[in-house]
Amino acid sequence: MNIRSLAKYWRTVLIVAEMNIRQQMMDGFIIFTVLFQPIIIALLGLWMLKDKGADAAVFVVVGSGLTGLWSSLLFISGGSINFERWTGTLEPLVAVPTPFDVIVFGKNLGNVIQSLISMVVGYFVASLIFGYQLEIQQPLMFFASLLFTIIAFISFGLVIAPVFVMNPNVRAWQNAMEFPVYILCGFLFPVLLLPKWTNPVSWLLPPYWAAVALHGTSTGGAPLNATLFAWGMMLLFSLVDLFIASRLFRLMLHKAREDATLGME
Amino acid sequence: MIVMWRRRSAHETTIEKLPIEIVNRKSKIVNQMKTLTNNLRLFWQGALLSYIALFHWMRPIQYAASKILMPLAQMFFFVYLGTYATSADNRSFYIIGNALQIAAVSGIYGMTMSIGGDRDNGTLGYIFGTPANRLVVFMGRAFMNIMDGVLGVVIAFFWGVVLMGLDLSSTNIAALALIILITTISTCGLGLLMGCLALITVNVMFVNNFVYFLLLIFSGANIPLASLPAWIRAVSYALPLTRGIMAARSLVNGATLAEIAPLLWGELAVGMAYFVLGYVLFKVFEVVAKRRGTLEVF
Repeated sequence: MNIRSLAKYWRTVLIVAEMNIRQQMMDGFIIFTVLFQPIIIALLGLWMLKDKGADAAVFVVVGSGLTGLWSSLLFISGGSINFERWTGTLEPLVAVPTPFDVIVFGKNLGNVIQSLISMVVGYFVASLIFGYQLEIQQPLMFFASLLFTIIAFISFGLVIAPVFVMNPNVRAWQNAMEFPVYILCGFLFPVLLLPKWTNPVSWLLPPYWAAVALHGTSTGGAPLNATLFAWGMMLLFSLVDLFIASRLFRLMLHKAREDATLGME
Repeated sequence: MIVMWRRRSAHETTIEKLPIEIVNRKSKIVNQMKTLTNNLRLFWQGALLSYIALFHWMRPIQYAASKILMPLAQMFFFVYLGTYATSADNRSFYIIGNALQIAAVSGIYGMTMSIGGDRDNGTLGYIFGTPANRLVVFMGRAFMNIMDGVLGVVIAFFWGVVLMGLDLSSTNIAALALIILITTISTCGLGLLMGCLALITVNVMFVNNFVYFLLLIFSGANIPLASLPAWIRAVSYALPLTRGIMAARSLVNGATLAEIAPLLWGELAVGMAYFVLGYVLFKVFEVVAKRRGTLEVF
């Protein structure tokens, strides 16, 4: 996938994202993943960290939203190609003139956007149930971080989806990949608590940089340099992911056509 | 001409000589024994086959990912979160709570998929069509999940000791094993009830996930019950896991089996209540589904 095809097919991307959201709003599993699970985690976190004050509450709201984003990426974006396969729509989608990776980009955009709802709901839970006056310390920087996060998560999802399709053995680890990323990326507690040898693993994960940027700007606890560096890392990872994804999609479709296994698992 | 002489068995000879009341009583006992043997066979076959069927889609690698690594990672997450929220001294509080919570993986997901899976796979009609004892079928489904759940909790405690420094040196291990068994049984009771609900709803995974995650709050695995509002505490005591977790924490802190016995009886009673409720619902759904013809309608 390249930026040029995104610019050319931006209208398709938006329509796919819209259709994806509409369709998924009827699925109980998806509603749970993007909405209820992050809210329950937010409730748990707010209760557990209530002695740490309002700063911790902002941290929990943002962190639980990130858990929703990651779970959505892992389970929904990760399975976005397989979903089309199960419903028998994979062949027509591959056959249409729009590049297939553009379509999956649109689906991932829809997933990420609907996952952000959990952050908004978490904010209201913290305000209404726990009575916190939550304030985002650097609003502009926070929304810019959110934009970089969306791009980083979509790009990461574009790598995960074909990997899961081509390697059922990797997909088998899907259930085991959810909480390790919550831990390694410091969604709800600082990674400083973890053993030092885990830090390089965290640095290789785009969600870690998203957490650094979003936590830093929402609590105002991070210096500008740290936020800018996190943005840079998210951008870098996005470009690398898009490059890898373009190769993976080509390989996946070539293999599927060669082996005539497009609709088969 | 060939004549086949059949020698009378001792049993036949004896029956002829006995008065009719005794013969009736004896044949009644024989019938009861036959029913018991059939039910035991049904229980064991049902338990084994439903467990094998549950894994028709699951390879060993998936089992390891879903039943060993996922619970371990979840335990790590909440232990780190808990120690960050309070202090490292409270580590055992979170390890014990989350290790026992692992019982819900088999108890809720395993049980629901064992029962609800019949509907998805189109075998529910055959089960309702057989003259098999429903209670035995029901219990057979629970048995393997209880064993699997116990194994999961034992593994979680093992990780807790080896990787997180849980100290069980002065703990009565036999009593802890009893707590694990009872807690897993009671959690499977709730799972049976959830499984019955899975017979009438399409969004099985929504219900499963919702109950599983709510248990993380309500069971007291991560939040001390005393700090929860009164209405949540009331709900907590009506759920499995709550008393089991309390008992395990007390035991590790030095309580004796006699001291935690009331909690264990309570845990068992809660579990049995869910088993009975689940069984009654199963019977009701059977009658309703047969009457309305909605056995496999989604």
